[in-house]
Amino acid sequence: MRTKNTQKPMMSGKRKDMIFYISMMAFPVAQFAVFYIVVNGGSFLLSFQNINILTDTTTWTFDSIARMAKMLVTDSGMLTVLKTSLVSYLLLLVIGTPLGLLFSYYIFKKLPLSGAFRVILFLPSIISAIVMVTIFQFFVERAMPEFVRVLFHKNIPGLMENTATRYGTVIFYNIWIGFGTGVLMYANGMSGISQEIIDSAHVDGVTGLREFWSITLPSIFPTISTFIITGVAGIFTSQLNLFSFYGGAAPENLQTFGYYLYMHTQAAASRAEYPDVAALGLLLSCVAIPLTLLVKWAMEKFGPSAD
Amino acid sequence: MDMQRIKKNNKGSDGVRERFSPITIIMLIVLALYALSMIVLLGWALLTAFKEQSDFRVNIIGFPTKWVWNFSYVYKNFKVAVQTDTGQVMIGMGRMYVNSVLYALGCAFFNTLVPCITAYMCAKFPYKFSKAVHTTVIVTMIIPIVGALPMEITVARFLHLYDHIWGLWLMKANFLGMYFLVFYGVFKSLPDAYTEAAKIDGAGNLCILFRIVMPVVRNTFFTVMLINFITFWNDYQTPLIYLPSYPTVALGMYHMATTTINKLSYVPMRMAGAMELLIPIFILFLFTHKRLLGNLTVGGIKG
Repeated sequence: MRTKNTQKPMMSGKRKDMIFYISMMAFPVAQFAVFYIVVNGGSFLLSFQNINILTDTTTWTFDSIARMAKMLVTDSGMLTVLKTSLVSYLLLLVIGTPLGLLFSYYIFKKLPLSGAFRVILFLPSIISAIVMVTIFQFFVERAMPEFVRVLFHKNIPGLMENTATRYGTVIFYNIWIGFGTGVLMYANGMSGISQEIIDSAHVDGVTGLREFWSITLPSIFPTISTFIITGVAGIFTSQLNLFSFYGGAAPENLQTFGYYLYMHTQAAASRAEYPDVAALGLLLSCVAIPLTLLVKWAMEKFGPSAD
Repeated sequence: MDMQRIKKNNKGSDGVRERFSPITIIMLIVLALYALSMIVLLGWALLTAFKEQSDFRVNIIGFPTKWVWNFSYVYKNFKVAVQTDTGQVMIGMGRMYVNSVLYALGCAFFNTLVPCITAYMCAKFPYKFSKAVHTTVIVTMIIPIVGALPMEITVARFLHLYDHIWGLWLMKANFLGMYFLVFYGVFKSLPDAYTEAAKIDGAGNLCILFRIVMPVVRNTFFTVMLINFITFWNDYQTPLIYLPSYPTVALGMYHMATTTINKLSYVPMRMAGAMELLIPIFILFLFTHKRLLGNLTVGGIKG
């Protein structure tokens, strides 16, 4: 005797797969729709709004965009922010990336104490920025002058207190703590290089820096270019840990766009101040997007080939 | 045979030359100085945390003249003021630790689970939509959008997610970013034989995902979750904006760094506070550093 269930046509495997697929993808897609598309689309629209808190009304206007565009090209404070953001990005890129690569190579080659260095280089990545900054700040302000006094019998002011050394100290700090993830990813990437290629190079007498330049670097270039391409946005988003150093009161000549945008959002007295921040963000995105695509194109066009 | 001998000999002499070449020695010195600077800084902070303020004033870099346990004073006395509907409430360190664990654990879990599941669906179900999702991840990584924070706050308030820890779990449960690519790579390299054998035995898709696939990728899953946990534990800027009623220990540390309350503004007290945030994560790192330091790689991005 046939049961009722067996009379029903069995659901096909493809249909089952599709139902499973839709049910598993529903939440991620909905989350993306709300927190990426709605947020960024809304941010775009916010740039063209004027919010009146007293009357709780919103009007459409180009005021914020026009004000921010004018500020970007004429306001001396904003030009300083632009200069600091660019210079800081270039310094971190030019000093931090080559050092990170050399350290990764040292670790990859398992040279003396590489295991210990690997752990120590990663240490700042696990320590909260606010903890590291608090300790570093007191160290360079209080302990460093004392070390110099004891060792060299010379009195120096604190490095953050001294306006001449303040920016250099902030940049040093950011390079000093910035190796962690990059070094790990580069070293793990290097471990994927075929030992046969390295052995053949050794037979041909290629070792040391030449091996690094001709074999290691091209082999992990995709990883390097990923970091460089995704890092271009850092010009406009990097805070240089200034909020941890100064809270909302960083000196104007140290401020970057990342800090400026976060600080003005965090300190906004009401949502009426949001359109200006959104407008500035939109203008910066208009520069960041083509710049990132240009860097990506340049990396693919002129970067070394693994072949 | 000769070739092998040559290789072996070359490897040996090259190895020695490489280990003691001038460039190696310079790198060793630079790395040793780096390690020393890190040890001196953290060591100084730890020693300072055991000093009395009067001792610190005259003895900034030496060992404490008298060892003082500042940690319990900070734990008992440091509080963050929170505005509620019924007035101001003072939140102590104990409650901040609970908030930190809830915030970091929940966000880390959902911020790992969602990219993992999405990557699995995209890697193993070759629909056109899967390709679109993969491309979306790459495009969003490449295209930087700046200044969307005000709108994100507006959306969070509109959806009543603002000022709720679970609200941030939902906000962080996205599949975008590098870890999607890490999981995608792992699932792509997973042979289909695993799942096909289970299908023949009558296992459903959900059963295959949670009983067969997830155990296979558990190492990568826990490594990503651990990195995320550390990131969220240390994050104070997100709670500063989104969780005004639920201060975490990291946010407490930010407030402590700017506090002017008499004894808590002393440098030894601040160092003790810093250590109270650092030590739990440092212990976690000691037990998990091998997992953290060796499991992840990322390739290039094409799109």
